[in-house]
Amino acid sequence: MVQQIIAGLQSGSTYAMLALAVVLILKATDVPNFATAEMGLVPVFVIWQLLDSGWNYWLAVPVGIVFGVVLGLVIERLLIRPILAESHFASVLMTIGISVVLGSAIQLRWGSDPRRIDAPFSGNFQIGGNYITYDQLMIIGLGVAFMLGLLFFFRTPWGVQMQAVAEDRVTPRLLGVRVGRVFSVSWGLAAAISTVTLLLHTQASVLTDAAAGPLILKAFVAATIGGFGSATGAFLGGLALGVFENLSGFYINTGSRAAVAMIFVVVILMAKPEGLFSQARPREV
Amino acid sequence: MAGSRINISAGLAVRIAFGLASIALAFLLPSLLNPYRLFLATLIVVFATAGVGLVIIMGWTGQIALAHAAFMGIGAYMTNWLFSDVGIPWVFSLVLSGLFAAVVGALIGYPAARLRGFYLAIATLAFAELITRMFVEIDTVTGGISGASIEIIQLFGLDSDQSHWYIAVILAIAVFWGAHRLGTTAFGRCLRMVRDAEIATGSLGINATNYKLFAFAISGFIAALAGGLFGQLLTFATPDTFRTTLLIQFLVVVFIGGVTQLTGAAVGAVFVITSRELLQDVGDWQRFAFGLSLVLAVRFLPGGITSLVGLLKGLRRTDAHEAPTVARAQ
Repeated sequence: MVQQIIAGLQSGSTYAMLALAVVLILKATDVPNFATAEMGLVPVFVIWQLLDSGWNYWLAVPVGIVFGVVLGLVIERLLIRPILAESHFASVLMTIGISVVLGSAIQLRWGSDPRRIDAPFSGNFQIGGNYITYDQLMIIGLGVAFMLGLLFFFRTPWGVQMQAVAEDRVTPRLLGVRVGRVFSVSWGLAAAISTVTLLLHTQASVLTDAAAGPLILKAFVAATIGGFGSATGAFLGGLALGVFENLSGFYINTGSRAAVAMIFVVVILMAKPEGLFSQARPREV
Repeated sequence: MAGSRINISAGLAVRIAFGLASIALAFLLPSLLNPYRLFLATLIVVFATAGVGLVIIMGWTGQIALAHAAFMGIGAYMTNWLFSDVGIPWVFSLVLSGLFAAVVGALIGYPAARLRGFYLAIATLAFAELITRMFVEIDTVTGGISGASIEIIQLFGLDSDQSHWYIAVILAIAVFWGAHRLGTTAFGRCLRMVRDAEIATGSLGINATNYKLFAFAISGFIAALAGGLFGQLLTFATPDTFRTTLLIQFLVVVFIGGVTQLTGAAVGAVFVITSRELLQDVGDWQRFAFGLSLVLAVRFLPGGITSLVGLLKGLRRTDAHEAPTVARAQ
């Protein structure tokens, strides 16, 4: 049971971190980014390439993250900013398109063979008869760190500007907020978070071109549980989702595991669409 | 006055001639094309038919619906199951599956009526995931993860390729005609009003929720009808057939073609099947090309290819309007 919960927290933390990246972009630019996972997977493949040509892990990872950030900035500048004035309709389709392009680019460049990324930290330790791997510790620990970091970030001037821009794009501009730069920061930061997430996720399992696909929907489900405005909610939503999935996979059957996320989202969207962690706001008329 | 009357009858004559030519072409095509080309032509017709469902829900009603591929799966599996296992005639199997998908569509539409924007995208994606999950689980109907072979139908005196072609054409005519009628009625205008001014619908006594439910049901119905025939063309269906890869192709169908126009679905279907065919030897590039088409369409051509026609007409018209303005200025 405890072992299952730990494994659940591991996958849950992965969903939670991606959900944070989703919430970050949504808060700043009001774009539901369905390409979040692929934006992290491309730089992970770059990291693999660097490691494969003999780079040191601690050198390859920062370079990969920088690559991811640049990719995020370029996508935002070239493809997202021109359509920001349009509805969610356009941005949903745009980011779905981007995720397909990135995913198939990975397939074209690196193929579909499973690969391994060897982390310098591996192995496990024991607490009260339960094994915990360093990968798990790293994922769960970084997840908590990212959430706290984001909470802190939203209180800094940058973060406040970001939330102001998400509410209203015109007034902050009049008050001297550089809206464009806020957009760039949010996309760059989200790209870095999803790169780290995908790196940890794939080095704990395997690196394939199919790694991103299942994650993105889970991340959105996690963010839905939390109500899209809340970093804490998205994080706890991710953890809850991971744990429930693992428990149902263990105690019911593996088929039920896949359905948990979907049932979660359907029930929450029907019962409390604003999420469990945010106050309802009346719709403007 | 006389001029305009002549214009109308000339236009009517052109239309009649065009209609007759199309019917003649539809009849002659099986003898003009080799079986493979005919198969491709049938595929275009089926994709265009399914695209009509997306035009109604996304283009007219303005709802982000991402479960279309799963609905086609319902059509493909259920039609085949009713036909070959239960023993109901194929046409009735197809219609029954369509009605079933319409009910499922309304079920999806129920939460959708309260959700907007990307919440709807997530909800419909989750539903699609649940449906494909069901395809894996109920293996007595679907053959589970390993898939089911589809029992091929033949109309009397025709081979299967020709049968598929004629069925596809009849279905497409019915669906396009029905959707066209729907679009010009008050019902169709109400759908567009739900899209453009949902807040105002309440004060006019239009129940936006009901219209959304209807739109979801009709869209599911059409998808399942097209799906039943799509299954015939596939000859073998696995749950994976009806996942995102197919969904992306349908998004390209409607958004390259033009999501608010019925003709957009037809144009988009030609585009998708042609590019699938051209890129067949370089399989992995297909997905890349579809993703890129979607990105470029959203970025540069929000109205799709059909909007270009309107744009050209618009240019001509502004020329005509500009001429007197220039003359007046001088």
